[in-house]
Amino acid sequence: MSKKQKIEAAKKAFAEQEALRLQNLENAKTERLSEDDCTFVQMDEKLHDQKFEHEPISFYKDAWLRFKQNKASIVAAAIILVIVLMAIFAPVFSGTSYREQHTEFGVLPPRIPYLENLGIADGCRTMEIQKSVLDTYGDAVVEVIREYNQYYRGKPIPMVEAKVNQYILKGADDYYFFFGTDNLGRDLWVRLWRGTRISLIIGVCSVLINCFIGVVYGAVSGYYGGKVDMLMQRIIEILGGVPFLVMAILFVMFLGAGIRSFILVLIITGWIGMSRMIRAQFFRYKDYEYVLASRTMGASDRRLIFRHILPNAIGPIITQATFAVPSAIFSESFLSYLGLGIQAPEPSIGVLLAEGQGSLTTSPHLTLFPAIVVSLLMLSFNLFGNGLRDAFDPRARGSE
Amino acid sequence: MTDDKILEVNHLCKYFSSGKKSVMKAVDDVSFFVKRGETFGLVGESGCGKTTTGRTIIRLYKPTSGEVIFNGKRIDGRLSKEDSRAVTSKMQMIFQDPIASLNPRMTVEEIICEGAKINKLFPDKESMRKRMYEMLDLVGLTREHATRYPHEFSGGQRQRIGIARALITQPDMIIADEPISALDVSIQAQVLNLLNDLRKDLGLTILFIAHDLSVVKYFSDRVAVMNRGRIVELSSASQVYDHPVHPYTKSLLSAIPIPNPRVEKQRKRVDYDPGMHGYDASNQPSMYEIEPGHFVFLSEKEFADAKKQLAAQ
Repeated sequence: MSKKQKIEAAKKAFAEQEALRLQNLENAKTERLSEDDCTFVQMDEKLHDQKFEHEPISFYKDAWLRFKQNKASIVAAAIILVIVLMAIFAPVFSGTSYREQHTEFGVLPPRIPYLENLGIADGCRTMEIQKSVLDTYGDAVVEVIREYNQYYRGKPIPMVEAKVNQYILKGADDYYFFFGTDNLGRDLWVRLWRGTRISLIIGVCSVLINCFIGVVYGAVSGYYGGKVDMLMQRIIEILGGVPFLVMAILFVMFLGAGIRSFILVLIITGWIGMSRMIRAQFFRYKDYEYVLASRTMGASDRRLIFRHILPNAIGPIITQATFAVPSAIFSESFLSYLGLGIQAPEPSIGVLLAEGQGSLTTSPHLTLFPAIVVSLLMLSFNLFGNGLRDAFDPRARGSE
Repeated sequence: MTDDKILEVNHLCKYFSSGKKSVMKAVDDVSFFVKRGETFGLVGESGCGKTTTGRTIIRLYKPTSGEVIFNGKRIDGRLSKEDSRAVTSKMQMIFQDPIASLNPRMTVEEIICEGAKINKLFPDKESMRKRMYEMLDLVGLTREHATRYPHEFSGGQRQRIGIARALITQPDMIIADEPISALDVSIQAQVLNLLNDLRKDLGLTILFIAHDLSVVKYFSDRVAVMNRGRIVELSSASQVYDHPVHPYTKSLLSAIPIPNPRVEKQRKRVDYDPGMHGYDASNQPSMYEIEPGHFVFLSEKEFADAKKQLAAQ
């Protein structure tokens, strides 16, 4: 077949197809569905749904199921629980009080039963002693580590580096101070838990009050919007503009250092963040259709706020409150550390840290234990808050 | 069906202003009435003000001007407590989004009973619960569903919960704001048929807001076509579909897909350009009755042309 013939054949085939297509189009024009071609479906079908087999899952149960999967948060929650229990009960059952002084037992290192046999927390401290007076230490010397000469004006003085049991040395053989004592011989164990208790009280109380004020203020501002919102937000901005430290110092100077004035300092601007968050939640939810639906049925503002909008904002509220606790504790520690803290002899974690830092090189335990507790608290509350946020709002996972 | 008007809307306007100068005329001089027992369809493209009209009627928005008369009483503006009760219990709304319209923190029982509780329709809890079970049964749910939370249900089931919620107060009229447009196509018929049955059994009046023209045709007795906040054509469903007069209505009808691929391929959409009317100060449109009960929003000249055209058909 020649090339020309091939082209001819292809043209012919194309022309045939084209004709067919046009024919089809022509047919389609007349081919219309009439109403008789259609039937109604599901007209007489009786609707009846199956009941569900599984248990009803409420919002909180759902959140709990998700929270449970977050191991870090569970551990954090357990740590918080332990710390809270210790803060409540440890000072009660320890026999001494946070202000009981034994000046003769000053700065004893930690000593814990059983652990002391392993060489940890055995109440010993390595000391450098003149060899000539070593005998006066008597039984207290547990072990001589090395002997050496120290030269004083060219004359060698024989010295001994020895591990000395401070408890025997100071006649406190019958006592066990788990975390040691401070320079006034007060039991750090009791003081630390007492301090934790006060820090927690300050943290939790200020956050609860902040939440309350924040929810009310934010709810009113967000729900009514418009001019009301404008005015309320300007007030917040003015209040938020006052420097925190200046206000804190003024308050403490005016009201005296104490738990109450401290809580007041933390409240005075602390609720602003909460109220802003609540306001945002209200703006988000107030135009939801279920709120409108309830409104068409004549629901009052109070019902809409407390029954419809607030329960839906409860997740972020709880989460934010959880995050606010460690920051309140931190503010307290920080102010105490600056010397604006709780009145002596009352301890708080910040006060203990401030006291301990003076003798950080000689008796590090005075700083170490409060630092561990405050770090654990901060870390646990943050991890716990993270877990709560993920549980309440899985979409927010990983965001801050 | 009687000629008794259950709802009358006269010159209703709702403007939204953002800032000092820009005013959005969402609903602009809309008038219509709904007869007792009929289904009145309100159609138009998105953003034409159908939903705003519905929400203004049910007092979610305060009208800028105009009046709404329900059961012979004006219900726009401030109402006394009893009058307000009469509206909130006798007029109900079904919402578009079956997910957003049910509070996720409440059980189905709480959701359904809410309207009855707020309006104090039942003397005691037992009678309310009994009625709630009746409602559940009516929409094809079981008693066990009462203790469940909305997230456990499918879209169609949720929409039926919404319907049960609207029905418990024994309303005279229901405003259905695109009740099926958020649903899967396979579920749309289910909900639609349920609404239709309920309308017949309970003698409900329904103001049906939708943008799906074929659904409105199947469902409504009379239809109003809205464009840019105004009603451009109002008539019985068959007249609007068979003899559309206003160019916008024609354009809307040309957009309905035909369930036949070969014909569908040939369907030509007629574009509507509001500038085509060429309205000016001397040539203003207004409502004309072109046939008995068939109103169109046209200028005098256009109306004369349209009348000739209609007569020729």
